[in-house]
Amino acid sequence: MGEAAILTRGLTKYYGRSRGVEDLDLVVERGEVFGFLGPNGAGKTTTIRLLLDLIRPTRGTAEVLGMDVRGRGVDIRRRVGYLPGELALYENLTGEELLRYLANLRGGADWRFTRSLAGRLDCDLSQAIKTLSRGNRQKLGIVQAFMHRPELLIMDEPTNGLDPLVQLEFHRLVRERRQEGTTFFISSHNLPEVERMCDRVGIIREGGLAAVDEVESLKRKALRRLEIHFAQPVPPEAFAGIPGVRDLRVEGRTLTCSLAGSVDALIKAAARFEVLNVTSPEVSLEEIFIHYYREEPGGGGEGHA
Amino acid sequence: MLKNVFLKTLRDQRVSLAWWAVGIAALCLFLVAYYPTVSRTPSLIEFMEEAPDWVKAFIGESAEDYTSPSGFLHGELFFVMAPMLFIIFAVSRGSAAIAGEEGKGTLDLLLANPIPRRRVVLEKAASMAAATLGLGLVLWASLSVGAALFDMDISPANLAAASLSCVLLGLVFGNLALAVGCLTGKRGRSVGIAAASAVTTFFVYSLSGMVKALKPWSRISPFYYYIASEPLKRGLNAAHALVLLAASLALGALSVFLFERRDILV
Repeated sequence: MGEAAILTRGLTKYYGRSRGVEDLDLVVERGEVFGFLGPNGAGKTTTIRLLLDLIRPTRGTAEVLGMDVRGRGVDIRRRVGYLPGELALYENLTGEELLRYLANLRGGADWRFTRSLAGRLDCDLSQAIKTLSRGNRQKLGIVQAFMHRPELLIMDEPTNGLDPLVQLEFHRLVRERRQEGTTFFISSHNLPEVERMCDRVGIIREGGLAAVDEVESLKRKALRRLEIHFAQPVPPEAFAGIPGVRDLRVEGRTLTCSLAGSVDALIKAAARFEVLNVTSPEVSLEEIFIHYYREEPGGGGEGHA
Repeated sequence: MLKNVFLKTLRDQRVSLAWWAVGIAALCLFLVAYYPTVSRTPSLIEFMEEAPDWVKAFIGESAEDYTSPSGFLHGELFFVMAPMLFIIFAVSRGSAAIAGEEGKGTLDLLLANPIPRRRVVLEKAASMAAATLGLGLVLWASLSVGAALFDMDISPANLAAASLSCVLLGLVFGNLALAVGCLTGKRGRSVGIAAASAVTTFFVYSLSGMVKALKPWSRISPFYYYIASEPLKRGLNAAHALVLLAASLALGALSVFLFERRDILV
């Protein structure tokens, strides 16, 4: 014990055409739910496949559960559950046959637990996989990752293709397993989802780790967009100098701005007028990153940006 | 059948394997049933006697006694047809083993299990060998049964020798396909290179009978070790069989070596 669940030092992978990852130093502690956040193509899948020894680093090292991924891959994989990002299953099997096969390759799994997992995710095991929808395949992928009660779950975009109710059940599952001490390394390109599930977040951008932060402080710093609709035109001066507010525009009866941190001062300023509606359009990850680099000089923005 | 990689791989091909077995059995029985007609056709004997040397060279050394049981089976089945079928079958298995699964994207899921890569390769290679050997048994059994039914005078032991040689030849190219798949992860390339090697080495061997320049090269051809010792007439040549077996094992070992060292394609 004691050692980190995941530890990489200078982990680098170059590909022919795509960049992969570069000098990644990452520490995931045991028992935490770590969100690996980044846009598509940032290097999330590359990192994950390096950790599973599916691809080999150009340089640098990675340890999982205290063991070197190159030398002790088999021992690592015995204790790790993995959900691939580009999930491909054996089309000619049924869900149950697939799970039996994978369980056999692991030397068995608790079948009652596996069935209860499948039941919770509403996953039909009797259907041939070739007839399943994308969401139902994803459920099978999740079940197989959990079924042997691994110490560490490495999941690449786990909620991809899941309908919202199943996503919630998945979040519940993650919380439960976390209570039992399971560590999670979950990649995502969806900030709200990471905020809901994770304790800490690593933000990866263009192959490098741009920032690592507690979810709570990320929420405080994260950039939101806000639109306030008033009953009457409002004077722009009434909103000048509010902390955290930027890109403020007041046009007639509509105010738009970006906001980092507390919304309190802005709401209080707005409350002096009659407010019809407040909306918050989703901010793209890219905007959040740009914000991050402006806020934190030296936060890892050097390199390809 | 889902206990391990070996059994799962056999299970995946059970339907196609059954059709291959039916096809080979039907082909053998049809050929043997046709033999009494051939052996009693004098004009055919004359034709073969008068055939130019290059025809004889191409059909093989036994062309002179085309109407004898072993000559007939050699010319009609074991010179081109049977090796072609066994090579096609083994190459399709060998290329599906790693490159096929990699192309479908299921290799990530498979290799995320606590089994070493070399075991995946070896179990898949063993499954290819077992299936090919099974087809070899079908070949031998249907020829033996056919020979008994239609009074063809040939010993089951020699039929077994020829069938086994055919299996060993097929596996050489099957393992070559496996090795190329392990190196590149591309199924098309694996099939292409194995098929091209089979065609090339076939012609190197079959033409070496009349093209003097090719003579020294005939021994690098797996076909030489497959048929030059005339297993239909003389039984199994252990040394030649061992050469084929050794080539398969070497290519299998090379496959493991190559696959251990590379990135799995997405």
